[in-house]
Amino acid sequence: MDAFDSLMTGFGVALQPAHLMWAFVGSLLGTAIGVLPGIGPALTIALLLPVTVKLAPTAAFIMFAGVLYGAMYGGSTTSILLNTPGESGSMMTALEGHKMARAGRGAAALATAAIGSFVAGTLATLALTFLAPAIAELAFVFGPADYFALMLLAFTSVSVVLGTSRVRGFIALFLGLAMGVVGIDGPSGQARLAFGSPDLLDGIDITVVLVSLFAVGEILYVASRYRNAPPAVNPLSGGHWMTRQDWQRSWKPWLRGTVLGFPIGALPAGGSEVPTFLSYTIERRLSRHKEEFGKGAIEGVAGPEAANNAAAAGILVPLLTLGLPTSATAAVLLAAFQSYGLQPGPFLFVNSADLVWGLIASLYVGNLMLLVLNLPLVGLWVRLLLIPRPYLYAGILVFAMVGIWGVGTSWMDLLLMFAIGLVGYVMRVYDFPIAPVLIGLILGPLAETQLRRALSIGEGNPLVLVSSPLAATLIVLALAVLFLPGLLRKLRANA
Amino acid sequence: MSATPQRRPWWLALAVILIGAIWLQQGYGLPDAAGYGGVGPGAFVMLVGLVLILLGLALMAQIARGDSFEPQEAESAEADATPSRKALAFAAAGAAIPLLTMRSLGFPLTAMLAFVLVTHAFGSRRLVLDSVIGLVLGGICWMGFSWLGVTLGGVLPLAGW
Repeated sequence: MDAFDSLMTGFGVALQPAHLMWAFVGSLLGTAIGVLPGIGPALTIALLLPVTVKLAPTAAFIMFAGVLYGAMYGGSTTSILLNTPGESGSMMTALEGHKMARAGRGAAALATAAIGSFVAGTLATLALTFLAPAIAELAFVFGPADYFALMLLAFTSVSVVLGTSRVRGFIALFLGLAMGVVGIDGPSGQARLAFGSPDLLDGIDITVVLVSLFAVGEILYVASRYRNAPPAVNPLSGGHWMTRQDWQRSWKPWLRGTVLGFPIGALPAGGSEVPTFLSYTIERRLSRHKEEFGKGAIEGVAGPEAANNAAAAGILVPLLTLGLPTSATAAVLLAAFQSYGLQPGPFLFVNSADLVWGLIASLYVGNLMLLVLNLPLVGLWVRLLLIPRPYLYAGILVFAMVGIWGVGTSWMDLLLMFAIGLVGYVMRVYDFPIAPVLIGLILGPLAETQLRRALSIGEGNPLVLVSSPLAATLIVLALAVLFLPGLLRKLRANA
Repeated sequence: MSATPQRRPWWLALAVILIGAIWLQQGYGLPDAAGYGGVGPGAFVMLVGLVLILLGLALMAQIARGDSFEPQEAESAEADATPSRKALAFAAAGAAIPLLTMRSLGFPLTAMLAFVLVTHAFGSRRLVLDSVIGLVLGGICWMGFSWLGVTLGGVLPLAGW
């Protein structure tokens, strides 16, 4: 069955009225929660995980597709109107978008972001439709050593790319890996690092870690450094919508952003930071209105926002085909798959074709829904930004408690919430990146399994890890990611 | 440059080394029987512990060199501001209160207490109003999520409900 037929089957699934409704609910909730300051797409999905407990997997993932794009759209709204990017991918949007909003052009900035997201999301989903099955096909030849090497590449790139310091990036990663080994070890049945607590035998739930690090850590951090001033939201009223000139200046950045975002997002070392940053730089160089950059140039919103959304679709390629998350958002989605007993990877396309194609078709549907939903509803979202901060953060804590207590009504989870929340606070104060913790936690156990499998096959000889050309190449790439930035810096310093 | 929270946070590096040491020791204690050629349950744990110790030492070297740690930016927060210990303590109490009350007082009341503590940390002094909002929010969450099928325990376990 080729991709087109599969996609049509997927639309058959996604367009069922019940599924359409879940896509709508997902888009609405995703935007509403994603628009709250301090809540990025990953946390939005984690907080909404409990909502789907009773849903069948297909309906749940169709809803997540809506949540994903809704949360991204919500994030760009917050960036533009409040200058507070909820995740690193919307930092560039905030740069120009906030300036535009201050100059009374907020409505145009939001519109170019929304339409750009739609264009980029749709084109990138199209690319995903045809690329993913091919990569899944390819992934069938991956042996344990290849998978392990691939994960090493993801580990090094996520620790090096995110954050300011490699040491701190790796500490974050290894804290995640350390938490990942807690619980019963599958192959041997041994309890590891459970410290005699029966609650820890099942391991540490990723929802608990994610919600504690992002929500509780953020609450503690903001509380300790709270600036008691009403949030400065830039008014939308009186501003002009996109003019003819805005359209002319936006459409090329949308397309260029998509072309940058999707492939980079789809790489195992991808993520959304690099493409949004590149897009901003390129638009700045190509623009005929260079003098406006830094003061609110519309190209600087259109390009990075398109790149961000295209990268979000790109990230689904390694996630769905290889089971490899390359961002915090992808890590939560992987956890969601696992909670339904599904393991993303090449077999997902064979065993759960309805689900995968329903999900992909829903990405198209969700994108269109968001465009229809958000252009008229933007006034409502802006009102959410005005919730008084004490109630906002106290409310976030209550929702975090729902997410954590709801996992298994376990007291140990509450203890972890408090302890990991404090860790999240410390990580913010001393500038440690947070996403590597989640990648380590979720990929660590998978990497360990593949490592042990590979070593068993190789009868204990570590050379088996580089025995296939693919594995060797990937390990070389992983090392390059690790050492190249330093080498380049040295070369530049010497030159 | 912004004011660093603490010029030389040695404890940070020590904490990383301590975690690494615990994992290394625990991994070492695991029986390493893995059948032929493989690695047992302890090897990966020990590897993680060992690398954490090395990273802790690297962090210590950076601290000794005088590297700066700049707090991250967040909405409504001033990264450069002197942190308020009192506000932090109240917010932390809000995150800790479920440990004491969740099993006896149940979700809605625990949510109310946590809500009040966090609003207090953010400078709100309207105790009654905050309590009412917290209780209503907690109650709605309890009912709504129970309806969705999420188990959040009894309403008031102490009374046997």
